[in-house]
Amino acid sequence: MTLLQSVKNAVRQRSIHVCYVDTGSCNGCDIEVLACLSPRYDLEQYGIYVHNNPREADVLLVIGGVTPQWEDKLKMIWDKMPEPKVAVAIGNCPISGCVYNRPDSLTRPPAKSYIPIAAEVPGCPPRPTEIIQAILSVAPLIFKDWEIRK
Amino acid sequence: MASVEWIKTFFFAKTAPLITPSHFRGFPHLTGKECTHCFQCMMICPAPGAIEVIRTEKPGEWKPVIHLGHCIRCGLCVEICPELVLDSGRVHTKNAQDGTYMQFQFHITVNPVTCMGCGICSVACPVNKEIDPQLAAKGTSTSDEVIMRVYKGINTVFHEEKCTGCKTCEEQCPNRSVMVARVLEPLQITEEP
Repeated sequence: MTLLQSVKNAVRQRSIHVCYVDTGSCNGCDIEVLACLSPRYDLEQYGIYVHNNPREADVLLVIGGVTPQWEDKLKMIWDKMPEPKVAVAIGNCPISGCVYNRPDSLTRPPAKSYIPIAAEVPGCPPRPTEIIQAILSVAPLIFKDWEIRK
Repeated sequence: MASVEWIKTFFFAKTAPLITPSHFRGFPHLTGKECTHCFQCMMICPAPGAIEVIRTEKPGEWKPVIHLGHCIRCGLCVEICPELVLDSGRVHTKNAQDGTYMQFQFHITVNPVTCMGCGICSVACPVNKEIDPQLAAKGTSTSDEVIMRVYKGINTVFHEEKCTGCKTCEEQCPNRSVMVARVLEPLQITEEP
């Protein structure tokens, strides 16, 4: 491993930029993601920054059971993100649709069928600690030695 | 030396990760008590596909399985279980403390506009069949002990409390005019003053 690569690995672990996309959730998971920013959980001490701009994000948090309007747009957002990138499904909705996944409902879960999801955080909503843990455990795994494995 | 320490704490200071307290309601886990497969947990669960009671490899042994990604951690299955098979957080402790428990019954609604009095629901009902084996064809038995039967040209509910919630009537109705709803009541044991 070159020195440059080891520097990149070290930096990428401590600087994770997050973009979240709400594909039709009930706002419960959004509030839990927002709570991660609060002093109690303090996301930024781990080097995670919320930008809400896919063009400068490393991690995409997908929230909500995908509504018909989001079917093509979720892929568009995913394509805008620069490599290396990772998508994390937050909550039950992008995993299974949960309580909204009923006959004739306007949800098209899972989010897995539109973009590759690296990690899923179950819960309705998941706790902020679980969200932070998921991001911290999955992002460095994907980003480590990205140029070598590419 | 002090400056090195200072630089370390300045750049790498992190609060200890928050530990989830034990009284938080997590995903339900098994307590090891014997499951009698009464399926009350499956019936009460508000999330589709979150809990399943399945037969294990051991003969005659059943156990509930929680599916992550479906479970919403409401704890209703923990509360309703009469055998205390599941546990989560301090649900049982709080229930014992406050004397709270849950009870449900089934409410049958017949839409008088769409019901054409064909009696298919009354004939299909397995509980009706046990009470009055004579109840057949058009559902016009004279027994008043049945859950429901056709009375004056319309399906009439007599004994709602006997309903077991199998929803056979709802499935068999050609007009979708029968609806079975579960009415859940949280109750508390009150001491007489």
